[in-house]
Amino acid sequence: MLGVTKKFPGITANDNITLQLKKGEIHALLGENGAGKSTLMSVLFGLYQPESGIIKKNGQIVKVNGPNDATKLGIGMVHQHFKLVHNFTVLENIVLGCETIKNGFLSMGAARKKVLDFSQEYGLEVDPQALISDITVGMQQRTEILKMLYRENEILIFDEPTAVLTPQEITDLMVIMKNLTNQGKSILFITHKLNEIQAVADRCTVLRKGKYIDTVVVAQTDKEKLSEMMVGRKVTLEVKKPLIEPGKVIVDVNGLTVKNRLSGKNIVNNVSFKVREGEIVCIAGIDGNGQSELVYALTGLMKADNGCIILDGQDISHTTVRARGLAGMAHIPEDRHKHGLVLDYNLAYNLALQRYYEPHFQNKGFLRYGEIYAYADGLIEKYDIRSGQGTKTPVRSMSGGNQQKAIIAREIDRAPKLLIAVQPTRGLDVGAIEYIHERLIEERSKGKGILLLSLELEEALGISDRTLVIFEGQIVADVDPQDVTYQELGLYMAGSGRKEAMA
Amino acid sequence: MFFAIPLLIVALGGMFSERSGVVNIALEGLMIFGAFTGVVFIGIIQKSGAHIDGQMLLLLAVLIAGAVGALVSLAHAYSAINMKADQIISGTAINMLAPAFAIFVGRRISEKGTQQVHFEDWFRFDSVPKLGDLPIIGDLFFKNAYLTTYLGFLILFISWIVLYKTRFGLRLRSCGEHPQAADSVGINVYKMRYAGVIISGILAGIGGLVFVIPTSREFNATVSGYGFLALAVLIFGQWKPLRILFTAFFFGLLKAVAASSSGLPVLKDIPISSYFYKMMPYVITLIVLTFTSKNSQAPKAEGIPYDKGGR
Amino acid sequence: MSELKNKPAHNKGFWGLLDLSNALSSFVAIATGLVVGFFVLLISNPADAAVGFTTLLTSGVSDLKNMGQVLYFATPIIMTGLAVAFAGKTGLFNIGASGQFIVGAYCAILVGVRCSFLPGIILCPAAILAAIIAGALWGALPGLLKAWRNVNEVISCIMMNYIGMYLVNYLIILTVYDQRRNITRAVATHANIPTWGLEHIFKLGNSPSSANGGIFIAIIAAAMMYIILEKTVFGYELKACGFNKNAAEYAGINSKRGIIMAMAVSGALAGLGGALLYLSGAGKGIDVVDTLAMEGFNGIPVALLALNNPLGVIFSGLFIAYLTVGGFRMQLYNYAPQAVDMIVAIIIYFSAAALLIKGFIQKIGKNKKIRAKGDA
Repeated sequence: MLGVTKKFPGITANDNITLQLKKGEIHALLGENGAGKSTLMSVLFGLYQPESGIIKKNGQIVKVNGPNDATKLGIGMVHQHFKLVHNFTVLENIVLGCETIKNGFLSMGAARKKVLDFSQEYGLEVDPQALISDITVGMQQRTEILKMLYRENEILIFDEPTAVLTPQEITDLMVIMKNLTNQGKSILFITHKLNEIQAVADRCTVLRKGKYIDTVVVAQTDKEKLSEMMVGRKVTLEVKKPLIEPGKVIVDVNGLTVKNRLSGKNIVNNVSFKVREGEIVCIAGIDGNGQSELVYALTGLMKADNGCIILDGQDISHTTVRARGLAGMAHIPEDRHKHGLVLDYNLAYNLALQRYYEPHFQNKGFLRYGEIYAYADGLIEKYDIRSGQGTKTPVRSMSGGNQQKAIIAREIDRAPKLLIAVQPTRGLDVGAIEYIHERLIEERSKGKGILLLSLELEEALGISDRTLVIFEGQIVADVDPQDVTYQELGLYMAGSGRKEAMA
Repeated sequence: MFFAIPLLIVALGGMFSERSGVVNIALEGLMIFGAFTGVVFIGIIQKSGAHIDGQMLLLLAVLIAGAVGALVSLAHAYSAINMKADQIISGTAINMLAPAFAIFVGRRISEKGTQQVHFEDWFRFDSVPKLGDLPIIGDLFFKNAYLTTYLGFLILFISWIVLYKTRFGLRLRSCGEHPQAADSVGINVYKMRYAGVIISGILAGIGGLVFVIPTSREFNATVSGYGFLALAVLIFGQWKPLRILFTAFFFGLLKAVAASSSGLPVLKDIPISSYFYKMMPYVITLIVLTFTSKNSQAPKAEGIPYDKGGR
Repeated sequence: MSELKNKPAHNKGFWGLLDLSNALSSFVAIATGLVVGFFVLLISNPADAAVGFTTLLTSGVSDLKNMGQVLYFATPIIMTGLAVAFAGKTGLFNIGASGQFIVGAYCAILVGVRCSFLPGIILCPAAILAAIIAGALWGALPGLLKAWRNVNEVISCIMMNYIGMYLVNYLIILTVYDQRRNITRAVATHANIPTWGLEHIFKLGNSPSSANGGIFIAIIAAAMMYIILEKTVFGYELKACGFNKNAAEYAGINSKRGIIMAMAVSGALAGLGGALLYLSGAGKGIDVVDTLAMEGFNGIPVALLALNNPLGVIFSGLFIAYLTVGGFRMQLYNYAPQAVDMIVAIIIYFSAAALLIKGFIQKIGKNKKIRAKGDA
């Protein structure tokens, strides 16, 4: 295999990018959010046609008009969001699209044998008869890998495969990837995590803002260089924060429990913690360990089955979302499109979303437009929110970073006592991440209590004063970020207690 | 029985459409189109004096009803799949179009200028040889019967096989649950959804005719809300063929009671209006929905237009 | 089920009504419907097609009586159109206007017949109020089911349509039945809505049209709905629920209450429509047949053509009524008036697609703008 070359000067998305994948290598594709990684993959799969540039395989120019062509060329992909049908079995998902037929009926026997063989060969244990909705995320990922193997793909693409895995599962995945390349498969590994590149990749291609930067041999470079290439300047991931002695307790959560309505299991299990004035407390953990539900229960979006929440001396355990807001709680939500914004409202209406009901903005049930727009103009100015048509801009048309700025402006401006920020930097580029971290630190300096939920270890350890680890709905560790290592934290996130970790 | 079979057929049609991811509230309209053309066809042949076997004629009419249902459902499919329009709205359009069309054309072609289309019943048979003599079962299933009843069961059997035992069924279901997944493995989601909608059109068209034949001697541009009732059957049946069968028979029974409440001596003495029996299927569906909607097994991607570019 | 629910709120002022791209998509749908309708006439009877079609398009304005008839036919469908539009603005598809309409109509007639001892000044408002309450209750139930049990409102509304229709038929037989004509008994004359002099304007010779004060009530209802949606906190909250239920809840808006309120208001509008039709003084009664009230379904194209804008609903309601009147006149040429229903159905079909075309045009426009200004 000679490699895949592709060039095409688009407007911004992909500008003259070359990517060569050698047989049997693990090749990392590194870039920030919005650097053009996904677009490039879409081109490879024929979802978009490039304005210029070609794709070659084994020296031959090939034309990819759709996913089917890609499959024929032996290219397969594990998407970041798995493409699995939840109420099909593992086996059904694997054979879907290339089923074996006998007399017009499905015949699964041979397929099952083939799948079982593959799982043995590559160490991909999974029960072919299990329903997707019943198995863990790690198992689902294995199903995706088996899907590619079943199709006898030669080029395997992994799109951000580790985001949803525990550190142990990540280690397993790395082993599997090595196995696969030993068997002659080639792997393209899309990520923005430098550790993983160092652990597993042979070479690395870096993209930045749609432009090709360079391809380097991983062994001959280091993390600092890679991150500089990715961002375009030296990045100090260290956050400077002034020393503050935390004040009185702002929020005291005790025994908070949320049950799953169907299974009756505790999604949030007896969670207790305190956040004090001038303190950033981070709850770290792998996605899907009850963080979302914990936040919903804290903010009142979901009823807690047990436990109490005291905000600044006031019991708010059973109050509404609105009452909690009035009591001094602000919330930067995990999913800004789902919760944070009404995309079809304009910017002013969105900035007023938490305050429109205040006497200042209404008169006997009628909205006071003048006040709303004046207020919005103020926030836009103060927080540097950029948009096409100012207050009248439909929020849908704004960039992700500015949408997030709008939310942060709105929430901080409520002058809350407690600010709950859930993955506030998700999907943003480094500039926006730095901006948001600065704002959080600033609020901390003003003596606000901040509860940060993060999936990124660096963020968790970088800006917090105290780090709690959540696993399967329980707080399993409470550590000082100054004296804990990544490895230790990783073990907690995977559910090992502190004592085991020390031993 | 006469009430249950059309419900069964139409609900199965709806199942194919919804399992492929397209909500089809146009079932009512499709039934009218099928029934109307089928009955018109029968009327023409009967008047022409052609000597044709009754069962043969019925089968031909069924084919025509199915074909017309398929044709009209294409309009829904195009709007829902290609135009990504609101599936409820285009369904409503077809539901409104159908009776208007049937009346308009009915008046045009009838001699007296009335909207009713008449036909004669050449299709009933008194008893199936041998099977009709069986105790109980014979009385229930094989006497005073219509071919369409067996057709209903045949369709049920085939539907079950197709949905669960064939490649087509597997792919169709994947499009209704997770079209992106289907697309990523090279399944043409648009094609599968077209197939689902067209099958629903065929079955709804047939169901319309099957509804009219045993219960009436004329067609009056209505199928009495059976299309919507079939939708209720589909939901009550949780989008699964066998549960649809039971629901269809349960609702059919209620309808039968409503229709004959004044005739049955037992019910005559109970002072309950036939309107209550007529209401019952809808009330029951509403109650069932109330208790099942939180964990409904509706296809996940139902009603959401699939956009190839969107991820 | 997206377009009807999630249209961006572009119309921020009265003149937003004339937003070109909005109007354009409706005109495309109407034009297509009319062209197809013409072909239907042409195929069924080529000889009279041209004159029949002209009749269809001109009758509505041919004389003052016909214009009055247009007002009369428009009144109930403006109301059901408002019902569908109001629900649509809050993210709900109210296909149950038919049921709400008929229970409203029944209650109005019940009061109009049974409480005829009351003086007109009380009787008429009482009948209307009864209709509003009945419609609101009938609409609130699917809202309740949606809010608390997550029942899809389209399905429950369809069920409620049939339940309402059968229930009303049953109750009519019990209470206000005219056995001879298989219809409801006539309401007391003083229960009818005053004509406010309209009969003197809209007439042909000495024969007055059925125009009555109901049209004013419908227009007032539309204006009130506009103010509620665009100017009040309540409207802001309802629309937020409609655009993004999750975000509304996040902002502390009680979306369950919003859904129930929206459906109740929507049902009340449809119920009022029932009262306005059957208290019109035209002598109309509810037929006791197992058929759903078409006025409820005609609200759908009215709302669609108006893109859920309450003021637009007045015009689209008038337009559909104008076609209806033309359809009746077309019978002179031996065309069934159902031709109009077919045209309306086709208009609905294309307006579903037209919304998309509109969205597409706007998207292109937007993208260009963004590129031109440069994205922060």
